[in-house]
Amino acid sequence: MSAKTQTGKLLEVTMAHRVGALSLRVEFALTQPWTVLFGPSGSGKTTVLRAIAGFVRPDTGRIVYGPQERTLVNTAEGVFVPTHKRPVRSAAQAARLFPQMTVKENVAYGMGWGSHPADERQVLVEVMELMRLTTLAERRPKELSGGEQQRAAVARAVAAAVAFDGVGDRVDKAMLLLDEPFAGLDGRLRDELAVGLRDWLARWQVPVLSVSHDVGECYLLGAEVVRMADGQVMEQGPVETVLESERARLLARLHAHD
Amino acid sequence: MQLISLQVLDLQALDLQALWLTLRLALSTTALLLLLALPLAWWIASGRGLGRVLVQAMVALPLVLPPTVLGYYLLVAMGPLTAPGRLLMRVFGHPLAFSFTGLLIGSAIYSLPFAVQPLVAGFGGVDASYLEAAAGLGASPWRTFRSVVLPLTRSSLLTSAVLAFTHTVGEFGVVLMLGGNIPGAKRTLSISLYDQVQDFNYGAANRTALVLLGMSLVALAAIYLLPGLQKTNGRQADVVR
Repeated sequence: MSAKTQTGKLLEVTMAHRVGALSLRVEFALTQPWTVLFGPSGSGKTTVLRAIAGFVRPDTGRIVYGPQERTLVNTAEGVFVPTHKRPVRSAAQAARLFPQMTVKENVAYGMGWGSHPADERQVLVEVMELMRLTTLAERRPKELSGGEQQRAAVARAVAAAVAFDGVGDRVDKAMLLLDEPFAGLDGRLRDELAVGLRDWLARWQVPVLSVSHDVGECYLLGAEVVRMADGQVMEQGPVETVLESERARLLARLHAHD
Repeated sequence: MQLISLQVLDLQALDLQALWLTLRLALSTTALLLLLALPLAWWIASGRGLGRVLVQAMVALPLVLPPTVLGYYLLVAMGPLTAPGRLLMRVFGHPLAFSFTGLLIGSAIYSLPFAVQPLVAGFGGVDASYLEAAAGLGASPWRTFRSVVLPLTRSSLLTSAVLAFTHTVGEFGVVLMLGGNIPGAKRTLSISLYDQVQDFNYGAANRTALVLLGMSLVALAAIYLLPGLQKTNGRQADVVR
């Protein structure tokens, strides 16, 4: 069953929020399986992500989750669904693995509410393989490198999103929010993980909104791009359209070095 | 040298009833205090505001209040002369003062700050981003508390329990007021010690004091001895990032 509504909108965000020097004012809707919030640091990407996750309470705004039009935030009506009750699973940029648990226990943390534990075991195995964590399963977080910690943290959110089955809820799929999921990883591994993750999540029909400042990553994922700058949405569309100028600029700079 | 004769194991001479009462009271108080202190400390540690400041001040009050003052107020509150005392009497079927329940309530209030403060410090030291990580995975606040906060604050939990225990073992004023020094029934070791000194029975007093000293020392050593309980506030995991 698709997570889209008749209008095709997965998520609608309208919000204004002031944090420090940044005055955030955004409005966008997600329609594609994987969307990237793209922009330089300080443009407000993470704040938007945290508002959708429920960690930031927007000054004003409305956030509606597509399927069955479930309102997560509506400041005008005083609606603010707490994080753990949202059909949303998220991973912050800092790994924050639970130090007393093994890698496997960490990845399985957000599972276990589903009605099909057998399926969940299979999901756990697949996620661990997908994120190249199988051989690290029994390690503790402090025994991992930074990149390994990050992979485990992403895997933990992915597993939680896939295992979400909306028990006691009207929503059937959780949305996955990832803040710079591949930022600390080296080129080749990053490419393989990104493509693998995209394809695997598409199979489960889990919609993703990630944050990135990396043009290559956006092309790799073939994602829809919402380009942000100075707290505003500048442009939204397929990566080829939105980031063409960005790509040209990078290529020009590359050639200038030749 | 008779003063320091070490006949501790001469149990005949030791007030066994007082020892038993002391242990029973200290263990019950510790259990009751952990039940009370965990949610209370979590609530205090997880926010700001005038309400929390006032509650924290009230919790800390027994630290500065003379124990006899606290004991006196509790005695009056539990006695038949006041409305709350009469209500408690009706609930429990007997006057709370001079009963074990009365002692337990008094001890719990008296040792409350010693149970709450280590937990407040421990909970306050847990990096909030771990709580966000758990919530972002769909964990309810209660599940986050059980599965993330408590394992990260085991050392604070142990400190809290040990301090509550030792402090109850050593309390005097509140027990004297509430227990009434009824021999056998409501006399703890610390009061027994006082009585022995009053009777110039220094041999017995010596043994009682040593037992009290030993209990405190063993309990405190537990904090420092148990491995893996130090610095587990969850800061070491994300060193890399």
